[in-house]
Amino acid sequence: MMRPACITTCLAIAAVCALPDTTYAVEAALPSDSVYQLDAMLVDQSARPLRFRDLRGKPRLVTMIYTQCKYVCPMIVDCVKALERELTPAERLRIGFVLISMDPKRDTPAALQEVMTTRHLNPAAWTLLRPDAAGLRGIAGVLGVRYRALADGEFNHTTELVLLDADGRILARSALIGGRADPGLLAAVRAALSP
Amino acid sequence: MRRIPVLLGMLSLTCTVAAADSAGGWVSLPGGVFRSALELPDAPDGTRIPAFELARTPVTNREFLDFVRSHPRWRRDRVPAVLAESRYLAHWAGPAELGSTALPEQPVTWVSWFAAEAYCRSQNARLPTWNEWEYAAAADALRRDARSDPAWRETILAWYSRPSTQPLPAVGADSANAYGLRDLHGLVWEWVEDYSALLVSADNREQGAADSLEFCGAAALSTSDRDNYAVLMRVAMLSSLEGAGATANLGFRCARSP
Amino acid sequence: MVTRTAIFLLALALAAGCGSSKPQGDVDGETGGSAKGDFGPPQGEPVKAVLTAPPMVPPPTGRSAPAKVVVELEVIEKEMPISEGVTYTFWTFGGTVPGSFIRVRQGDTVEFHLMNAPDSKMPHNIDLHGVTGPGGGASSSFTAPGHRSRFTFKALNAGLYVYHCATAPVGMHVANGMYGLILVEPPEGLPAVDREYYVMQGDFYTTGRYREKGHQPFDMQNAIDEHPTYVLFNGSEGALTGDRALAAKTGENVRLYVGNGGPNLISSFHVIGEIFDKVWFEGGTRFQENVQTTLIPAGGAAMMDFHIEVPGSYVLVDHSIFRAFNKGALAILKADGPENKAIYSGKEVDEMYLGDRALPNLAAVATAAAAAKTGDLTVEQQISAGKALFAGTCSTCHQADGRGLEGVFPPLARSDWFAKDRLRVPTAILQGVQGKVTVNGKDYNSIMPPMNQLTDDEVANISTYVLNSWGNAGGRVTKAEAAAIRKGIKPQGAEH
Repeated sequence: MMRPACITTCLAIAAVCALPDTTYAVEAALPSDSVYQLDAMLVDQSARPLRFRDLRGKPRLVTMIYTQCKYVCPMIVDCVKALERELTPAERLRIGFVLISMDPKRDTPAALQEVMTTRHLNPAAWTLLRPDAAGLRGIAGVLGVRYRALADGEFNHTTELVLLDADGRILARSALIGGRADPGLLAAVRAALSP
Repeated sequence: MRRIPVLLGMLSLTCTVAAADSAGGWVSLPGGVFRSALELPDAPDGTRIPAFELARTPVTNREFLDFVRSHPRWRRDRVPAVLAESRYLAHWAGPAELGSTALPEQPVTWVSWFAAEAYCRSQNARLPTWNEWEYAAAADALRRDARSDPAWRETILAWYSRPSTQPLPAVGADSANAYGLRDLHGLVWEWVEDYSALLVSADNREQGAADSLEFCGAAALSTSDRDNYAVLMRVAMLSSLEGAGATANLGFRCARSP
Repeated sequence: MVTRTAIFLLALALAAGCGSSKPQGDVDGETGGSAKGDFGPPQGEPVKAVLTAPPMVPPPTGRSAPAKVVVELEVIEKEMPISEGVTYTFWTFGGTVPGSFIRVRQGDTVEFHLMNAPDSKMPHNIDLHGVTGPGGGASSSFTAPGHRSRFTFKALNAGLYVYHCATAPVGMHVANGMYGLILVEPPEGLPAVDREYYVMQGDFYTTGRYREKGHQPFDMQNAIDEHPTYVLFNGSEGALTGDRALAAKTGENVRLYVGNGGPNLISSFHVIGEIFDKVWFEGGTRFQENVQTTLIPAGGAAMMDFHIEVPGSYVLVDHSIFRAFNKGALAILKADGPENKAIYSGKEVDEMYLGDRALPNLAAVATAAAAAKTGDLTVEQQISAGKALFAGTCSTCHQADGRGLEGVFPPLARSDWFAKDRLRVPTAILQGVQGKVTVNGKDYNSIMPPMNQLTDDEVANISTYVLNSWGNAGGRVTKAEAAAIRKGIKPQGAEH
């Protein structure tokens, strides 16, 4: 016959085990001005599905491109790479570089993976994403990117490099692209990464 | 003898249905090749618009209230700031209550693009594209494309010259256009799905100025039809907005693909 | 001797050096434009710009160093009267047409905030002609209703500049009243005056006619055809008349800052009764002196100074004169003060002047006039006077013998047209005749213009002469009858 104390303890343990996974409840609520408030589904270059808010957890430098773009988009990638080079190796791992495609039809995970390879992008720091068609305009909306799909499948679009903090709030943005990193944006990145 | 009450019953039923059709409900549009008033260098001979359905009138306060009640995330006291600016639904008396200044049959205004889009999704629908909207709005009461008629333009311009100090009339008050749609002009501006595709220069005098870098290989959109002020002003309006933005004169209606 | 010459020469040299007050610049007398307009970074605390509603002007900046100036301007779409009983939906900067007057100094850094009222229907922006930069600020200030935008510029050029909205369709935004003036003072400031006023001309296009009552919408076709309904100073008829007239006193120097928002018309700006002592034509650096009427281009401005010597109402007009009297381009500057008869005497003489009637054969007219005064005017006197007056006025068409011109002008001789009603003669003289008439069996379809410049005596005398000449039956017309016909009242009785 078990002692009452033992029974209570066992019941307590059982009760705790029956509780749902509490890690969710411990996580702080998403701020009202976080872009991750937008519910959207995407897949990455490895065909792994994720929700937009799964990017939460570290500062991110986000931009929108499409792989068939021959004009400005390669320059955008150059620009982000130039910024990456300015950071220390430790800093580079504390930030995530995210390229989101505005061309979900053609930018399959395979196409995204090809960009990773040809541009020598470090998968530990870089994520290439393809949104579901339904969520694309919304993602562009929260990031402030304007784009138009052309009849031939190409796109006209604005250029935005958006720096998000770990919770998805916009810290800085830049429309400057060129061979070198925008010094203002670089300063903002460093500030975001300082402990 | 017994046929008469039956006939009368059927007649009254038809009348009720017809009356109900004057507000709410969907209109089928055949689509086709459509030339925009905007100069689209990638589609100089027009765009092919597939057949689609468009709501007969804009979404009303009452309809949006139902949505907010069943989707409390979109209450003005709960909606995230990134999806709706601070004045979202400011004209309602409370987060889930219209009050006397927001009449049920008025078109809902002070709604952001994200909120409008969420509403349409909840109805298994979507926002119309700019092309679809322009195509539907080219009609007057008799013709499907009245854009070359100066009288059509004048009626639209007359709305712009009326001040906004008057309360909005109820939806459906305007006469139907050739498709059976109402209030595409003269009531409120309306969101479109691709509001952010209207890549125009902020200085509208720079028609087609060649800053190709700004829009990745394209110049800013210009109008091929300078006389079509209705379109010009609508484009200017939509291009000035952010997705979380809202104004007192901006509402929306939904569309469906068959 | 030598000393005196030396002193004289020295004085001469000094006088020559001190005489001119050249604006700063490199080449003789030139300001150097924008290349020389940057006086360095702003100094001191930021200043909030004083904006005034027309017709008032903010006071001189009084600054001697560049400053940061914050300008906050709100766009408001509102319905206001454009004329008595006529309303129009204006789009305004600051709630007025023209918009608020902005005053800064060359070299100032201006931080410009543009707000668009939440109940506006349209997005708006601003292009200031004093801005060096894309669109004059328009590409950086595109603002949706219920939002605000901000951009900063340095005022590199001195001058008086127009600002206006540049959102498509631009013509419509300007035609609805979206314009105003920004004054960029030269570094040394402008010469002081006693009064400064802000006036801006604009053309307005409505679907209804001039002064047609009710709310009038904008008419795009009229605007494209450049057929304005109204041409106005400061946005409405009567904006600057009556108790809203500009005020000044004799002995004062008055300066007008005058802009022309257009959208279409050029202004021939003139102040009736005054001469512009100085006109900074086109709002630039140089001035012309002693100018009666100055051209102000659409989208341009001018500044003028004049000194008031004599009291009275001075009328500001666009001297394309039908605009002033038939479309409303009229404003008043009322100057009070003592008379100065040496400068302007007012009316000194008002006598009869008979002109060519002073000739001997027109003595009859003078006789008749005298007799009429004493009350014993005879038919004979009327006939004599009428005959003299007939020649030259009526005989041109109807001929000296009353024959008329076949098919064109009806005869008066033995005319059956007025045989039954003698009052037809004075009526025809005063009201003219239009349309088909049949005289002595022949049709005539010309137009006889009304001769209502003739006095009642003259009409009576001419009529009496006609009735008693060339075989007509006789009779007389009195001055009283002529007066009644002029007033449109049927005279009593019908004497034959």
